[in-house]
Amino acid sequence: MFEGPVQRLIDELSRLPGIGRKSAQRLAFHLLNVEQADARRLAQAIMDMRDQVKTCARCFNVTGSEECSICRDLRRDPAMVCVVERAQDIVVVEKTQEFRGRYHVLGGALSPIGGVGPGQLHFAELRERIGNEGIEELIVATNPTVEGDATAMYVAREMKPLGVRVTRLASGLPVGGDLDYADELTLGRALVGRQEM
Amino acid sequence: MAIRSDQGIVLRSFPFGEADRVVVILSPNHGKLRTVAKGIRKTKSRFGGRLEPFTHVDLVLYEGRNLDTITQVSVIETFSHLRDDLDQVIAAGTMVEAVDAVASEGEPSLRLFLLLQRGLRALDQGETSSDLVTAFLLKLAEVIGLAPALDFCASCGRQAQTLRFGFAAGGAVCDNCPTEGAVRLRPGLTAYLSVLAEADLADLPQPDPRFSGEAMGIARRFVEYHLERRLSSLAVLDE
Repeated sequence: MFEGPVQRLIDELSRLPGIGRKSAQRLAFHLLNVEQADARRLAQAIMDMRDQVKTCARCFNVTGSEECSICRDLRRDPAMVCVVERAQDIVVVEKTQEFRGRYHVLGGALSPIGGVGPGQLHFAELRERIGNEGIEELIVATNPTVEGDATAMYVAREMKPLGVRVTRLASGLPVGGDLDYADELTLGRALVGRQEM
Repeated sequence: MAIRSDQGIVLRSFPFGEADRVVVILSPNHGKLRTVAKGIRKTKSRFGGRLEPFTHVDLVLYEGRNLDTITQVSVIETFSHLRDDLDQVIAAGTMVEAVDAVASEGEPSLRLFLLLQRGLRALDQGETSSDLVTAFLLKLAEVIGLAPALDFCASCGRQAQTLRFGFAAGGAVCDNCPTEGAVRLRPGLTAYLSVLAEADLADLPQPDPRFSGEAMGIARRFVEYHLERRLSSLAVLDE
C-alpha cells in the first residue's frame, strides 16, 4: 500500500472497467512521472466531459451543444434514420461511410428477460420525429441478439403503421471469416437473406 | 481443474469484462451452470450465435474456481423460428425466466429440462396461443412440487364446486371454506386450467377465448406468488 494521494488515485483508477489493481498502479506511477501539464490536461478532459456533455435534443447522441453535429449537418438526408441502441453505435456506423442519414439512439434494447419495456426507451420521441421530420425509412441497427431482435420487431410493429419503411441490418457471414466456423443460426440467416448476383 | 462435457439450454447471458459473456445454462445433469464464453462479443468469435438464449447446445467446459469456461460448443437444436415474432420471444422469455428462478446449481434437473425443451419446441413449431405459457407455468409448478389444486378444494380437500382461487391456499377453493385473498373465477375456469395442466404441450386443445386470458392471469399470479418474484418478461408489453 502506498501513501496518501498515490493510493487514492490507484483506488479511483481500479474502479474503472477492465482495470485491476496492478494496471491501476502502473497508470498512477506513469502519471506521477509525466509532465505536470500532461496530467493536468487529462484531469481537465475528464472534468470537461462531465460538465459539458449533453444528449442531443433530437436524436439522443452525446454532444456538446443543444443538437449534435450530425443533426445540424444540412447535407445529411433527413428522410433516412438509423435506429441504434447506444450512442457508441453511431461511431461504428459512421466509420462504414455508407450511411448519409441521421440517427436515433434508443438508449438500450427491449429485454423480455431483463424486464426492460418500451417505456424505458426513446420510442415515443421516435414516433414524434416520424410525424415532424418527413422520415421515409428507419434502418434498425440493433445488435443481432435476442434483445436486439425483439427491439427491431417492436420498431417494425409500432412504426410501420405510421407509413414509414422499416428495414433491418442484414445478418450473415463476417468478411474474412471461414464458412467452416459459421454457426447454424448465422448461416441460416445468411441463406434466407441471400442476394441475387 | 478438469475438462468435462455437458449439454443444456441457454437461459440468459450478460456482458462480462471486455468482450466476454457469462452464459447461464440449464443442464439436465447438473442443473444451472454459470459459464464464461471468452471473446464472444467480438464479431469473429468462433462461438457466433451458438450461445444465444433458447439454444440447446452440447458443451465442452474447462472447470474453473467460480465459473467454468466454455471451450467448445455445438448446436443440438436452435429453436430459431421462435425468434421471428415478438410475442413468441416474450413467451420463450417467460419460460426461461421461470426456469431460471426455480433451477439451482449442481442439482440434476431432468424434468425441468425436458419441460423447457418441450415448451420451446412447441413455440418454435408455431404455437401462438397464450394457453401454451399457461400450461407451461402449471407444469412448472408441478415439477417443483407446487401443483395447484384444481379438481378439489385446496382448503378442505372435498370435490366440491370451486369458484374461487386462493394463491396462498394453493389452488381452487370451495365456497364453504373461508379463504383470505381468494379471487372469484368464471364458472368452468378450474376445469379449463385442469385440462391445460394435464395437456401435452405439443398438442394443446383448441384455445377458448372466453377462458384463455383469465387462465393465464391465474397461472401467472400463482407462480409469481410462490416464487416471490415477478415474471418481468410478461410485464414487458403491459405498459
